Amino acid sequence: MIEIKNVTKKYGKKIAVDNVSFTVEDGEIFAFIGHNGAGKTTLIKAIVGIHDFDEGEILIDGKSIKDEPVACKKLMAFVPDNPETYEQMKAIDYIDFICDMYEVDEETRKKNIKKYSKLFGMEDKLNDTIDSYSHGMKQKIVLISALAHDPKILIMDEPFVGLDPKAVFEIKEVLNEMVKEGKIIFYSTHILDVAEKLCSKVAIIKNGKLVKSGSMKQIKGDKSLENVFMELEDKE
Amino acid sequence: MKKLYSLIKASMTSGMNVFKIRSKKEGKKSSSLLPTLIGLYLMFMLWGMANTMYEKVDPLNIEYILLALFAFSISIITIIEGIYKAGPLIFNCKDDQLLLSLPIERSTVLFIRIFKFYVFELIFNTIFLLPTMIAYIRWGENITWTYYLTSILMLFLLPIIPIIISCILAAIISSISSRFRFKNAAQIIISTLFLIGMLFVSYNIEDMFNYIAKHATSINDFITKVYYPAGVYSKLVTDFNAVDLIKFILINLAIFVLFIFVLSKFYFKINSRLKNVSTNKSTKIEKVKIATKTPTQSLIKKEFNIFFKTPVFIINAGFALVLFILLAVMICIRYDSMITLLTNPETGFNLPMEFVTNNKSLLIFTLIALTSFMTSITSSVISLEGRKINILKSLPVSTKEILMAKIYSSLLLTTPAMIIGDIILFIKFKTNILEILLLLAASIILPLASHLIGLIVNLKYPKLDAETSAEVVKQSVSSFVSVMIGMILVVTFVIVLVKLIKKVSAIILLVSFTGVFLLIDILLYIYLINKGVKDFNNLTV
Repeated sequence: MIEIKNVTKKYGKKIAVDNVSFTVEDGEIFAFIGHNGAGKTTLIKAIVGIHDFDEGEILIDGKSIKDEPVACKKLMAFVPDNPETYEQMKAIDYIDFICDMYEVDEETRKKNIKKYSKLFGMEDKLNDTIDSYSHGMKQKIVLISALAHDPKILIMDEPFVGLDPKAVFEIKEVLNEMVKEGKIIFYSTHILDVAEKLCSKVAIIKNGKLVKSGSMKQIKGDKSLENVFMELEDKE
Repeated sequence: MKKLYSLIKASMTSGMNVFKIRSKKEGKKSSSLLPTLIGLYLMFMLWGMANTMYEKVDPLNIEYILLALFAFSISIITIIEGIYKAGPLIFNCKDDQLLLSLPIERSTVLFIRIFKFYVFELIFNTIFLLPTMIAYIRWGENITWTYYLTSILMLFLLPIIPIIISCILAAIISSISSRFRFKNAAQIIISTLFLIGMLFVSYNIEDMFNYIAKHATSINDFITKVYYPAGVYSKLVTDFNAVDLIKFILINLAIFVLFIFVLSKFYFKINSRLKNVSTNKSTKIEKVKIATKTPTQSLIKKEFNIFFKTPVFIINAGFALVLFILLAVMICIRYDSMITLLTNPETGFNLPMEFVTNNKSLLIFTLIALTSFMTSITSSVISLEGRKINILKSLPVSTKEILMAKIYSSLLLTTPAMIIGDIILFIKFKTNILEILLLLAASIILPLASHLIGLIVNLKYPKLDAETSAEVVKQSVSSFVSVMIGMILVVTFVIVLVKLIKKVSAIILLVSFTGVFLLIDILLYIYLINKGVKDFNNLTV
C-alpha cells in the first residue's frame, strides 16, 4: 500500500505539491493526472525517494520513505518520463545492473529478461549499446529493467510516451496481469482515454493541490474522464 | 546579427555557465565563495611568482622578454589542454539536434561552438596571464597607456591561435577515430599517442631550442621565431607601434575567420560519422550473457563503464598516472638528467639536491603525492551522472554504498599504475622492506585522500546539466577546486618536508607523513558519509 499523508514540497517560495493526501491499495491501478507543471513528477519523485519533501509522510507498505529508504525502494520500480539510462552500456548490462541493485537471483532474472524482452520485441537487440537505440527502444529497456525484478509496486511517469502501439498494448496486458497478482500500479499520464479504461482509481492534481481523488466510477460519473478533467481545468 | 547574438546568449547560459555552481536548489543562493577565493589565491601566487622572476632579471632590463615568455607558456598549455577539450566541445554535442534543425548556416553552429571554447580559454588565460601583466607594471620601463592597451588586447587575442591549433589537432583525431568501429577507444589511443609524443618532444625540446637560439640573432628573434604572437607582444610593450598592433589584430581575425570557413567544409561530415553507432549482430536471448553481482560490484562496474567510455575523462585522469610510470622509467634510464630535472628551479620541481640524492624513499613519496593529487578522477564523477543521477537515487542501495563505489572504482584505477611506478623505483633505488611497505601504503592512502577530496568537492559543486563531458572534466568549478586543494596539500607537504629533512630521519618522516595522510583520509571519510551523503540526497535535476 502507498500512503501519501499531507505531503508538501516547495522549491524556494514556490509550492510544487501542496498538502496532498491519498492512498493506493494493493491490487489497484492508479492514474495520476494533471496539467503540465501541476506537480505530478515532483510527487512521483518524492514517492520513489529521488526528492526529499518538506512536510508530511509517505509510507510504502507501512514503512516511511524518509526513515527506511532502501527497504521502501526494494518494493518499488520506477519508470521515469524520459528514458534516462547509462547509454554507453549494452542493454543487457544495464538490465543486469538494475537487477544487481535489487539482488535478483540468476534464475528469476533470466526468466524475466527473456519474458519481457520477447514481449517488447527486444530479444535480439540486448547486446547493443543503448546509445544506438531509438527513444521508444530506450523506453522498452527501462520497462524491461523495471519489470525484471518483479516489483510489488510499479511507479511510472508518462510510461506510454514514445512506445509503438504494440508495446502499449503489451504493457497494458502486463499491468493487468500484475494487478491480478495484488501488485500496485501508480502512473501519471496525459492519455486520459487509456487511463479511463485501465485504472480503478484516479487522482487529479492542479497547481500542486489535489482537486479530486477516488475510484474511477466515482470521479467520472456519467461523463468521460476527459470531460471531468477539462471542467476542472476551466475552473479557477 | 540579432540571431547570432541570441544563439551565443543561449549557448553561454545553458552549457557553459561557469558561474552557475549548482541548480538553484530550494531558493538557496549558490555558494561561489570557495572557488572565487581559490582563484584569487592562485592569481595572487602567480603575481608573487612573477614579481620574484622579474626581480631576478631586473639588472639585465629584460623583463619584457619574460612577459613574452609567460604569454608563450600559457599558449603552449592552452594548446596541450585544448587538444582533448576541443574534441568533445566541438564534435558530437548534445545540442546538435536543436541547433542543426534551426534555420541557420552550419558554419554559424561551428562558430558558436568555437566561440564558446574561446571564452573558456580566455578565462583560463586571464587567470594565469593577468597577474604577470600586473606585476610587470612595477618592473617594466616607461609604462604608459600603450602598455595597458596592448596588454588588454593581448588578453583577448592570445587565445585565438592556440585554440585554432587545438581544434585542428582535435579535428584530425576525431576524423581518424570516426573511421573506426570503436570510436571512443580509437580516440583514447590516438589522443594518448599525441600526448606521449608531446612529452617526448618536451623532453627533447632543450636541444631544439638550443638550435633555434643559435640561429637567432637575439632572444627576441628567438621568441618571434618560436611563437609570433609572443614576439609581437614583447615588441609592442617596448616599442609601441599602432600599425603593428592593427596588423596583429587583423592577422588573428583573418586566421579565425579562415579557420571557421575551412573547418565548416569538413565539420559536419566528421560529426555525423562520429554519431554513427555500430550495432552488434542479432544475438539470441539464450546466448546473451547474464551474470549476477553484488550491488557494490555492479556499481563499480558501472563506474568503469563510464570511465572507459569517456575519452576526455580517461585522458585527463590517466595523464598523471602515465607520467608517474614514465618518470619512474626515465629515472632508471637517465638517472642523472632526471635528478637535474627534479632539482632545477627552472623546471618547476626545484627539490633540494640533498633531498633527492640522500632520501630516495622520500623522493618516491613526493612523486606519489604529486601523482595522487594531479589525478582527479572523482571531481567529475557526480557531474558525469547528469540526469542519470535520478536512476541512482531511485535504487534500493544506500547513498553511502553509491558514494563508496565511486571511491573504490577510482582506487582500482589508480592503484595498479602507482604500484607499477613504485616497483620500478624500488628496483632502481634498492629500497628496504620497511620503506617498501610504507610506500605501498602511501600509494593507496594518498590517492584515497585525492579521491575523497574530489568526491566531496563534486558533491558541493555539481554540474548536472553539462552539454559535453569536457565541460565537466576540464572546465568545471569542481575539477578546479579539487586540483587546487590537492596542490595546496602537496605544496604544504613539500614545505614541511624541506623544513624537517635535516632535523628528522627519513624513515620517521615517511611514517609521520603516511600517518598524517591516513588521518586526513579518516576525517574526509567521516565528512563524506555524513555531510556528503546529505549533499547527494539534496541533488536535484
